Amino acid sequence: MAQKSQAQLKAENPIHIMPRSTQSTEANKTGSWRYLRPRYEEKTAPCSAACPAGEDIGKIEMLTAQGLFKEAWETILRENPFPGVCGRVCFHPCEGACNRREFDDPIAIHSLERFLADTAERDDLKPLIERLPSRPEKVAIAGAGPSGLAAAWFLTQLGYACDVFEASAEAGGILRWGIPLYRLPLNALRREIAQIEAQGVRILTGKPVTTDLLTDLKSGYQAIYLACGHGRTTELCIPGESLAGVQDGLAFLSKVRAGDTPACQGTSAIIGGGNTAVDVARSIVRLGGRAVILYRRRRQDMPAFGDEVQMALDEGVELVELVAPAQIESADGRCRVVLRAMKVAGEDGSRARVEPDGDKTSEVIVDRLFKATGAEAAEGWYNPPALASSILTLSHCTLEKKNGGPVKIYGGDVTNDIKSVVHAVASGKQAAMALDMLFREGPDAILPKLDGCTVGNGPSLSMEIYMGGERRLRNPHVVSYSEINADYFRYSPRMSQPRLVREERVRSFAEIDLRVSGNIAMREAERCFNCGLCNQCDNCHLFCPDISVIHDQSAQGRHINYDYCKGCGLCVVECPRNAMTLEEEIR
Amino acid sequence: MEIELTEREFMYPGHVGCPGCGAAIAMRFVLKALGEKMIMVMPACCWSVIAGPYPTSTLKIPVIHSAFETGGATASGVRAALDMKGDTETTVVTWAGDGGTFDIGFQALSGAVERNEDFIYVCYDNEAYMNTGIQRSSSTPYGAWTTTTPGKDWKKMRKKNIVEALAAHRIPYAATASISHPEDLIGKVRKAKSIKGSRFLHIFASCPTGWKIPSEMAVKIARMAVQTNIFPLYEVEDGLHYTINLKPKRFPVREYFKIQGRFQHLTDQDLEVIQKMVDEDWELLLRKAGEHA
Amino acid sequence: MKQVLEGSQAVAEAVRLARVQVVSAYPITPQTHIVETLSDYCATGKMNAKFLRVESEHSCMAALIGAQSAGVRTFTATSGQGLALMHELLHWASGARLPIVMAEVNRALAPGWNIWVDQTDSLAQRDTGWIQFYCEDSQEVIDTTLLAYKLAESVALPVMVVLDAFFLSHTYEPVDVPEQEEADRFLPPYEARFELDPKNPCTFGPLVPPAVYMEMRHDMAAAMDTALANFAQIEDDYERIFGRRYGAVEAIACDDAEIVFVTSGTITSTARLVLQNLRSRGEKLGILKIKLFRPFPVEEIRKALKGAKKIAVIDRNFSFGASGIFAQEVRAALCNAPVHAPVFGYIAGIGGRDVTPEVLEEIYWKTKNSAAPERESVWIGLQEVRHGN
Repeated sequence: MAQKSQAQLKAENPIHIMPRSTQSTEANKTGSWRYLRPRYEEKTAPCSAACPAGEDIGKIEMLTAQGLFKEAWETILRENPFPGVCGRVCFHPCEGACNRREFDDPIAIHSLERFLADTAERDDLKPLIERLPSRPEKVAIAGAGPSGLAAAWFLTQLGYACDVFEASAEAGGILRWGIPLYRLPLNALRREIAQIEAQGVRILTGKPVTTDLLTDLKSGYQAIYLACGHGRTTELCIPGESLAGVQDGLAFLSKVRAGDTPACQGTSAIIGGGNTAVDVARSIVRLGGRAVILYRRRRQDMPAFGDEVQMALDEGVELVELVAPAQIESADGRCRVVLRAMKVAGEDGSRARVEPDGDKTSEVIVDRLFKATGAEAAEGWYNPPALASSILTLSHCTLEKKNGGPVKIYGGDVTNDIKSVVHAVASGKQAAMALDMLFREGPDAILPKLDGCTVGNGPSLSMEIYMGGERRLRNPHVVSYSEINADYFRYSPRMSQPRLVREERVRSFAEIDLRVSGNIAMREAERCFNCGLCNQCDNCHLFCPDISVIHDQSAQGRHINYDYCKGCGLCVVECPRNAMTLEEEIR
Repeated sequence: MEIELTEREFMYPGHVGCPGCGAAIAMRFVLKALGEKMIMVMPACCWSVIAGPYPTSTLKIPVIHSAFETGGATASGVRAALDMKGDTETTVVTWAGDGGTFDIGFQALSGAVERNEDFIYVCYDNEAYMNTGIQRSSSTPYGAWTTTTPGKDWKKMRKKNIVEALAAHRIPYAATASISHPEDLIGKVRKAKSIKGSRFLHIFASCPTGWKIPSEMAVKIARMAVQTNIFPLYEVEDGLHYTINLKPKRFPVREYFKIQGRFQHLTDQDLEVIQKMVDEDWELLLRKAGEHA
Repeated sequence: MKQVLEGSQAVAEAVRLARVQVVSAYPITPQTHIVETLSDYCATGKMNAKFLRVESEHSCMAALIGAQSAGVRTFTATSGQGLALMHELLHWASGARLPIVMAEVNRALAPGWNIWVDQTDSLAQRDTGWIQFYCEDSQEVIDTTLLAYKLAESVALPVMVVLDAFFLSHTYEPVDVPEQEEADRFLPPYEARFELDPKNPCTFGPLVPPAVYMEMRHDMAAAMDTALANFAQIEDDYERIFGRRYGAVEAIACDDAEIVFVTSGTITSTARLVLQNLRSRGEKLGILKIKLFRPFPVEEIRKALKGAKKIAVIDRNFSFGASGIFAQEVRAALCNAPVHAPVFGYIAGIGGRDVTPEVLEEIYWKTKNSAAPERESVWIGLQEVRHGN
């Protein structure tokens, strides 16, 4: 018999079964083990909830960090038409809420907002703004200040034609006639106003809103937004107030903004502690004068921004604390101001309560005195009615529906507790939403709809949510620092905002804060935790022991394969920014 | 984190590792870093079971399961065969737990390393014989409860320093790594791949089941071990040159111990003793690396 | 070509001729000459193979399991304690269906260090699924080792070639060493049925649940049965090329024998001498040499012992609590045969004690003069011990 080959022998003696595996384990659907289920769920960043305009700040910084500056800028514009303005003058409550402040330093959100507006200006970007189909109603807006202009911007997004009536020669309100140039240069403001006009808004200057004009408006408009602001300085109510040397701080700033150089040689005293008082003082220094601020409380109680106060002092402005003017007298063409000494009687929160310190007084002799203790509406009817049966008071505006005639809605400084540009923008947005709901579904629909559009638990509102954008899917839970996995971040210092040095600053009204480069901006934006938002860091995919986080083409970029996910929860814990949620598995 | 990792998976889902299994994470990282031209030798360990029962396997690479003691020896045989077949591209990798490395497998490992066999030995360390039900190994740390060191008999011997033992063999490359630091781990695997001779990786692979921690804490606890210097990340080349890869802020060990069920019985005095031991070991490591505290 | 070789060298020659690719061995007296010769062959290039100097016998077998699984022909040799240490992995090699070939030098087990011949070490591994051959002389050693590869690879089971310590391992005899070209004709290069291959990945040795483990063991059992049939065919091939064959058993003068010795190993060659002697005095002795112990050639044993009136099994080993192991196996083989002679079990030569012609004569006369076995096992040559406790 011939010898058999190896192959033959093997064929005759096959191994039928032996310990050798050739199949995958995919038939074992370990998802059945699960009693907790993870999912992707974005939540609300504290900065965006703290921003009165509800800007989607976590998202803005994410886009900026990725170099998507236009997209980041457009994200601001959805909620606030004034990034260039706010990026210069806002008091940035967002930074106070920033979770990173508990890690090292808060993100320089303010500087980054300005950077994005500057970039849009430099590259002459035209924004892509979502707009709803045209509506038949027309809205008249009284006052082209930040609130009126913002209302026009938002109403246009919602499909309404708007006409803005402005008393002065140019739009802007306090932005044009109040805030000094060294804080807000003219071209930055003009560009953003032009952008609003480019959306189709008509701004009619030299058209003061009088009761007569109001009557005229009744026929052509279904609603009037009254945003005439606080244009009149409050009185001191002390003897000598009407003397020649006693001037209105707001009027002074307005003259300076109009291009005049009002007299300010010698020493000027400014009564007040808010931004207006500080603006007046610093303007005087730039015009060659000496400025002394007389304030009834302490420096830390001044409502003016701390930065501004520090810069004022650096520039040579003097500050006298705990004094209140008792009377003003003429003294050889100058003013003698008798000052009552004040003392701290207690604290209301962090703000001091003061009372006269016995009978102590002092006096100063100055060349002139500026009043800057606060402002109020120039006309009584600028204010919303105190009591009426058909009034709806919202957080940032008041709606009045009378039988017949257009709806009146009030907003801006006349309705807001905090008088700031960004709160004015919030008014404009809220008013636009309220009017839209009123027109589409009636007054009862307003509150429920607005409640559904808050950022976090409110009161800030989001136009993106209102218009049904992706943001509506976010969980309103505001992410706290304890919910951030800080292991994934390294200490890195906050960028420093470059500024003119003191000597350069006092020489002119040139803008103090300088531009920053894209590099600096991106690096700063990278510091942002993006609280509650997925920035595609892929930790979930990296650490999943069960190959159950699968990359895909969806917007999320990945999904969980629930056939195999065992619910261990590692993805949720290792997500640095709490953009996932672990819930009970329901079977 | 910036890691360049292939999208390819070398593992199928459907394996039977516990939820949050650190060993599964370690395997996934190492496979991705090494790629497909490899043969894996797997002595008895958790992964012998995790890989799934006949006729399935979760691993897409060739694997030979082997007896508990034989990690180093079986790999030597595979390598010899590949050499005889003229295969210079396939990497031989032993994948073993702490039992099969520190204890029953130590002889074969020492023998293979002494012969400078050309293979990579990866020990994923969950600090006990986990597969057989959480019994003590020589890798179990001082202070730990296990089923064979229960109650007042908690382990009072220090964790054996396997890297030092192998450094004494003048092994070309030995390094520690942790699942919590994937960049570092993957870099070391790639570095190991480029070296010839015996290479050893000691990977800290937490075990929620055996350490009595919630499954979602598996990576965090591994990170804490590194941050407290309990498990420093370092490399030893040719048994002589020490490089410490990370100098953490030296967080106190207390937090690490307090959140693990296996350490619940330790008193404040015990923790002080442990802190001293950790500090001592860290000082020693610094000296070996030619650095000072 | 005829050479004068030690048994150890004969093993080495066969391994060389089989073109083994990986050798791993740990030295233990009296296997050391095998290890050293192969080491020398690998170093000088006489053999194109890798020699793995592992650090224990357990690691030897582990290394070979790894190497064979990666698709190459392998070899090891051991003895006594070394084989005992390998025990766990002997089961592994057969369960993994790896055709590893091992030379096993029978040596007594400690304690009491004893380097001399005793079969208990290899027989204690009889359950491990290895094919076992017991050799009588160096020619048989070289032929069996070479043939073992073909047999092993045909049924995917490992083979143990057993030779006596010193009497075979260290005794020089004339051996006809085959030429390489002839060996190549008999044994083509190794082709693995399955191997570790990144291009075709699979997992060897996974967790096997009760649902299938039994079938895997049954397959091994079936392979053992096939080995028995294959052995005859392969011996045909071997005889055709080299002119020699041995048979699973060799029946010498059994046809008309009244008493048949059942022997294995070198005791067989002493028995041949005693056979000549006793036959010349008119005694009707026969010898049944058992070469193939696993699988146990039941049919051939029954056939050879059919006519015997008494069977005397000589065991150089013992299974404590039972009896000599060859005796046990022979009794089991005969118990279901329609008719068979009584089996007398003798224990001789334990721990290297000489089994001289006188010892075998004593066994013959004891058997002839006993109507029936007085007990299960009779130990031959025990002395009264006066020393120690």
